[in-house]
Amino acid sequence: MSECLLEARALTRSYDGGRIQALRGVDLQVRAGEFLSISGPSGSGKSTLLQLLGGLEGPSSGEILFKGRSFADFFDLDAYRAREVGFVFQAFHLLPTLRVVENVQIPMFEGPLGARQRREKAEALLVEMGLAHRLQQHPNELSAGERQRVAIARSLANDPEILLADEPTGNLDTENSAKIMAILAGIQASRNMTLIVVTHEPEIARAAERNVHIRDGRICPQ
Amino acid sequence: MSLFRIALKNILRRRLRTALTLCGVAVGIAAFVALVGFSRSFEREWLRAYQSAGTDIAVVQKTFLNTSVDVSVGAKLRALPEVADAVPMILNMMDLTPEVNALVYAWPANCYEMDALTILQGRRFQDGQPEVMLGEVLADNLGKKVGDTLELQGAPFGVVGIFRGGSAFETGAALLPLGELQKLADLGDKVSAFHVHLRPAPAGESEQQYVQRARARIEAALPGLKAVPAGERARNNQLATLARSTAWGTSLIALLIGALGIANTMAMSVFERTREIGVLRALGWRRWRVMELILMEAAMLGFTGGVLGIFGGLAALRVLSLLPATASIAQASIPVLHAVEALVIAVLIGLVAGLVPALRGARLSPVEALRYE
Repeated sequence: MSECLLEARALTRSYDGGRIQALRGVDLQVRAGEFLSISGPSGSGKSTLLQLLGGLEGPSSGEILFKGRSFADFFDLDAYRAREVGFVFQAFHLLPTLRVVENVQIPMFEGPLGARQRREKAEALLVEMGLAHRLQQHPNELSAGERQRVAIARSLANDPEILLADEPTGNLDTENSAKIMAILAGIQASRNMTLIVVTHEPEIARAAERNVHIRDGRICPQ
Repeated sequence: MSLFRIALKNILRRRLRTALTLCGVAVGIAAFVALVGFSRSFEREWLRAYQSAGTDIAVVQKTFLNTSVDVSVGAKLRALPEVADAVPMILNMMDLTPEVNALVYAWPANCYEMDALTILQGRRFQDGQPEVMLGEVLADNLGKKVGDTLELQGAPFGVVGIFRGGSAFETGAALLPLGELQKLADLGDKVSAFHVHLRPAPAGESEQQYVQRARARIEAALPGLKAVPAGERARNNQLATLARSTAWGTSLIALLIGALGIANTMAMSVFERTREIGVLRALGWRRWRVMELILMEAAMLGFTGGVLGIFGGLAALRVLSLLPATASIAQASIPVLHAVEALVIAVLIGLVAGLVPALRGARLSPVEALRYE
């Protein structure tokens, strides 16, 4: 069995002075190279869990460990997000003023590469995503499926160990959803990455190696 | 792709707003370039006037009241060992015509300062005669030539000479016999100042030490008066001080308005891009890199506005150098250092104005920014 890469211990997250309890004591272990899906109804806390695992915000209590080291004790969360994690969002979140090839370079500003290397790497990732003909276009000139492929290329920019996807097919039709999931699964397999996908679609949840279901901020027993 | 390119694309996103912001900065910098440039050229020309004539020290009343030194002081000054010559003089601005306002100098006809002028047409005036000499620029502005008559406060003065001086001041000025101006303005034996030309400094003593020694001796010999070295007098005389404080005051107001324009634009820009900044933070951009981007945008606005403002200021100076009322003082060019100074001020304004929006952008929580609608 692979080592535990990411671990959540007794994780809680509340908002609005404790009035909203998004997570109520979540324990979760994610192995290196695992494809994990997190499913649950709207408002169940699955996206909050993903945000905490991705270091976008801190928990109200409990702790998260990456390779055995606690976020609270060791981590510069900016560096963690830049180097260890790639994000794919439901709304793509591409920068509208930048060209496709420029969007992919954004995370690399926190890496060691120079301008030319950044550009070459972004081009290579976009070619891998089948977007060689779209490099110089702006996001608003692309279809939804193409935008999500740009976002996936961007998430791989710094060769992260973990790919976090929050409802990556939420804004796509059935055909594009299947394509995007195939790309994500292919990346996970070929690069032996850890892929965590938040979804409310049962087919995607079933496609993962393991699924955890969240309801009311707690993981339901399988 | 560089951070510069991202910043450039961001400020070009709302072109009209950017253009209006640049106009605000450009007006501020143009005011600075034109007004401060004008006041500095005023000081520079004043100093050049002293230097070209060989004046080392100006002796004036300690209270700095104009035309309040008695002409009898001259004899005491000339008796001092360091003093080669001391010339009583009056200097004032005067409306020569409703359109043309110019500096008017009054000297004795045989003073050393007269020797520094180049007579282009005619001759020097004679003491005791209602005669006037005109600098070539002033003559041109007035449309006068030798043989014409110029009316000063109702009294006719014959134009006897056209001259070129060592500074733009003199070239745009009128020159009268001292006694005639004293009579015209009912000043009795009072003058504005004495201009002192020192003997050469003795061997082994620096020019500066020598001037300071002469200054101390003059002030000891003439209580109530003060001896001001030429450079200091050029900077700190009433007209220069007034011109400088007016220029800086007006410029600072204009620069403040420009800074507020940048601050408003950057605040709006950060507000509109809240979600994008959240994306940058989510993708690992550190707070200081977000700040760097926003400050770079603000500095670019400052810099571009500064460049436009320098051209605007030069255009304003060009106009001033052509207007009869200001042609004698204003120069259509500025020293490179003044342009660099204007650019530095423009960029600093951008950075200061962009600081609060940059801090706000850098402090955004990625999660809250991503949720922002």
